Parts: sequence; C-alpha cells; structure tokens
Amino acid sequence: MGRIVGGVGSSHAPSFGPVYDKGQQKEPMWAPLFDGYVPVRAWLEALRPDLFIVVYNDHANQFFFNAYPTLALGAADVYPQADEGWGKRDLPDMRGDAAFSWHLARSLVEDEFDPTICQEMAVDHGVMSFMPMLTDTRWPVPIVPLAVNVIQHPVPTARRLYKLGAALRHAIESYPQDIRVVVMGTGGLSHQLQGTRFGFVNQDWDNEFLDRLESDPEPLTALSHHDWMERGGTEGIEMINWLPMRSALGPKVKRVARTYHAPMITGYGLLALEPA
Amino acid sequence: MLEEVAGTKVFNGERSREGYRLNRMAMSLTEAANRAAFVADETGYARRMGLDDTEIDLVRRRDWKAMIDAGGSIYLLIKIAGALGVPLYEVGAQTAGMTLEQFMAKRKGR
Repeated sequence: MGRIVGGVGSSHAPSFGPVYDKGQQKEPMWAPLFDGYVPVRAWLEALRPDLFIVVYNDHANQFFFNAYPTLALGAADVYPQADEGWGKRDLPDMRGDAAFSWHLARSLVEDEFDPTICQEMAVDHGVMSFMPMLTDTRWPVPIVPLAVNVIQHPVPTARRLYKLGAALRHAIESYPQDIRVVVMGTGGLSHQLQGTRFGFVNQDWDNEFLDRLESDPEPLTALSHHDWMERGGTEGIEMINWLPMRSALGPKVKRVARTYHAPMITGYGLLALEPA
Repeated sequence: MLEEVAGTKVFNGERSREGYRLNRMAMSLTEAANRAAFVADETGYARRMGLDDTEIDLVRRRDWKAMIDAGGSIYLLIKIAGALGVPLYEVGAQTAGMTLEQFMAKRKGR
C-alpha cells in the first residue's frame, strides 16, 4: 500500500519565478524566505518520495469562468506550464502519474468527492513557482495536481477541504503499490491584491495559522470564508489549500521546518511536517 | 451570497457574470499572438472580443478600479496590465485609490 511520508505547506507567488530564474535567492529581501527551502529540499530528497500530491489553485490560467471547476484533478503523465499572460519560464513540463491519478479519482468519488478529471492540464505559478526550490527542475518526482477554486465565490469551505485530506489519505493507503507520497498544500498566506486594503499583510494571523495548523488544526475548519478573508485579505482565502495536506497527515505530526517572511505585499510561509 | 469583506467586494457569481466579457478578453491574452494583436490595436481587439463602449473606455483609461467595479477579477485584470506593461503594484494601488508613489510611501512608513 501507499504511505504518506511527509507534508509540505508553501506559499506560491509569481514573484518567486524571476527571483529563482535570476539567481537572486541570496539577496537580502529574499534570503530569509529562500534559505528556508534549502533544508526542506534536503529532507525531501532523503524521504525518497515516489509522488507529490499538490493541492493548489489555478489563477485563471488553465481554467476560465466559462466552466470553472470547484475541484479539478490532473490525470495526465505530463503537465505543461501555463502561459499566464507574460510568457513561460524556461522550465520543462512537469511529470505526472496518470495511473495513480485514476486510482485517486475512483477513491475520491467513492468517498463522495467529485472532482473534474483532467487528462490535459497546464499548471501555473500555483505549482511551478515554489517547486524549483523543493526539487530538481528535471522533475524527478511526478506530481498529481489537485486544483481548488478559491478565486470565484462560492468556494469550498475550510471544513470540506479538511475532509478532503482524509480522503487523500484513504486513497494513498488503498493504492496497491508500495509508494511513498508527500502531500503538499499551497497558497497564501495573508495578502490582498486589490481594493482599499491592497497590500494588506497580517503577520500575527499568518503565524497563528502556522501554529494552529501544526498543533491543533481541526478548529480552523470552523472559520467562515468571511473570517479567513477578514484576517488574511481577500486573496488570502488561498490559505485553506493547506488544510488537506495537514489532515492527510493524521492527528499527530512532527515539525521538520518552518519559515515565515513578509517582505512585500504577501506573507510567505513554509512548513514541513512528518506524520508522528 | 458573500458580498463584501472589510470594504472590499468579493469576486462572486454576480460579479463574474457582470464582468464576463472583460474577463474573457483578459483570458485571451494568455496567448502571445493575442497579446500582440491587443497591443497593436487595443480598441479593435476589445471590440472583436465583444466589449461594449463603456468597457473599452475603462481599458483605454487604464481605470483598474472601475474595471474591478465592473466585475473584473484581479487575476484577469493583471493579464491586461501585463500586456500593457503596467506593474501589479500600480494596478493594486489604483484600486485602493492611490498612486503607485503614494502606496510605496505608505508602505515605507508602515
């Protein structure tokens, strides 16, 4: 059977792309964040994972509002990079594991989660911005992308996504092959990209979120969308993408690493956990 | 339906319906050939994409705040801004009723 060997929560941002591509990770503005990824990458390599399941959100790149899926599961062996409106980065297409994806699709539907199943799917910075800091860009570990609508309300509740984590675990543990899986959740942390609170960052809330997600996550599911956005900004609703990762790991976890840095208009977080 | 949080309108179904054409035009700019066509002839391109005169005028005036009010999603509007070479900070600051300089000064004083 499959086994969850680790969990990673990470922010994603278009700005990570140029920083990485131009080798600016050591610049004072970015080092406090990017330095945090170095030990996490080493830890991930030591875990020898066979698969990354990535719960993320698309930013109107693969999907548009003509048919915006609430939950969309990649079921391909290759995931090209989306052009978000300013050209693509010089990175190879990401690798997938369609066989596992179809197993996951069957298991999720049996557990009453009904994703849109995508045999062609481009991934945007929601996946590709932080991934080069966590693994080699030849992409040795295949991914299974799971996109959550957090950009056009109504979006799923925090509780729903927390339950999704348990369904992911069930799917992984019912896979016939002995594979080692790392579950990732990405988005946020606090930020707001428009309106009177443009540039809003709430460092207290971001750190409280990281504390609670690690030690006592379940009560976070009682927060309403209004609560999340009041505390973390309208675009900070992405933080709920971290919940499936956390619940997939089970009640007790051991922290491997945690980083927080808010140099601009977004609180950036990184959290690496192992099931205890 | 969730409408507003701390003075910011939430991008919900009603707003998505209202801003559909504007957002759809923005989505088309994820293709390089369309970006080139848009930059070469903004008005003609926008008209071919079905925008009405009011919407075309908002784009012409780079009035990001009004585009948000007309149902534009920030994730789509930044594609229009990107094609036109307008940075995200300038878009965001304007939607907050500030110039980029005012926003940067405010941030510095934080």
